Amino acid sequence: MGTIRSCWARLGRRNKILIITVVAIALMAVGRFCFPAPLPHVELPAEVIIPFAGAGITNTMLAALVTIIVAGLVCYFATRKMSLVPRGLQNLVEALLEMLINFINDTAGKEYGRKFFPMVATIFIFVLFNAWLSLIPGFITIGFWHHAEGGHAVIVPFLRGANTDLNFPLALALVSFFFVEYWGFKANGFASYVKRFISVEGMFKGLGQIFRGRVKSGVGTFFNGVISAFAGLVEIISELVRILSLSFRLFGNMTAGEILVLMMVFLIPWVVPTIFYGLELFLGFVQALIFGGLTLVFLVIAVSPREAH
Amino acid sequence: MEEGLKMIAAGLAIGLGAIGPGIGIGILGMGAMNALGRNPEARGPIMTNMILAIAFAEAVAIYALIIAIIMVFVA
Repeated sequence: MGTIRSCWARLGRRNKILIITVVAIALMAVGRFCFPAPLPHVELPAEVIIPFAGAGITNTMLAALVTIIVAGLVCYFATRKMSLVPRGLQNLVEALLEMLINFINDTAGKEYGRKFFPMVATIFIFVLFNAWLSLIPGFITIGFWHHAEGGHAVIVPFLRGANTDLNFPLALALVSFFFVEYWGFKANGFASYVKRFISVEGMFKGLGQIFRGRVKSGVGTFFNGVISAFAGLVEIISELVRILSLSFRLFGNMTAGEILVLMMVFLIPWVVPTIFYGLELFLGFVQALIFGGLTLVFLVIAVSPREAH
Repeated sequence: MEEGLKMIAAGLAIGLGAIGPGIGIGILGMGAMNALGRNPEARGPIMTNMILAIAFAEAVAIYALIIAIIMVFVA
């Protein structure tokens, strides 16, 4: 052992890098042949594992349930023995919530921040726990063997991250959409919020002016009215497109991350997938922040009053 | 033949779809670095907003990726 260490110390930096690279490549090659992983079988729709009343319970639903239970348990154990000076788990949960509440208060202001906090924080925590739980070994690897067409067997996992099933991000995006619209109506009043999307009064005013004989100013008002009506239409479309983009962003990122890790395990079973695990940890956090943050930004846009035209 | 065409289509879908977001993220990073150079104290807000904006740009690439995944594995 001592001779190896003294040899290592005498080597130049370049030689060290060379040796490390050679050893890493050798490890990769050995791992490839000693522990071959199967080519990942990608199934975009969630698989039904418990047939029940026509539709059945899918593995992503089970994973969502597990997420709820785990998040609930974490909160239970964090608040069981509360102390004024937080220690351990309580400290961690408090730090997370404090980070969230600072972020929300900075963006939405103190008054609305309090009101938006429950929804945004719930979305954040759920997506985060879901993404991180689905990185635990066993999540997409333990399941039934199922014989597909072509003679080869594929695995139907018991648990699969709920973010990788389009239905779950879509449901979350719909909840976020309705929450945003609710606050839009509540903060602006019904009439003024509707006016943002349907603004045809300028058009009618212009028409009225034309009929009353003031053609020149009437035409100008009419065309301004047409433009603002069109802007309202664009506003409606951009409001609805949010549902699509929110859900597809989460679904695409999480599915792509899962496939990426599986592919890396297939290509190089040793050492290298760990790096991608780190990447996935970071991506899960960023996606949770983005889903919560975008909901927050849309809420702020909805409640902030528009200047009158 | 058809399998090969499918693979080419998937490669083109994600390859072409990644060009725009790549340029966009590059511009975003440049803007954030410029802002950071001018005002190093504003590191936190710049970071948060940069990541949010990058997510918007990246979403476009993700759409292309979904199309590519569907072409290779499902369709």
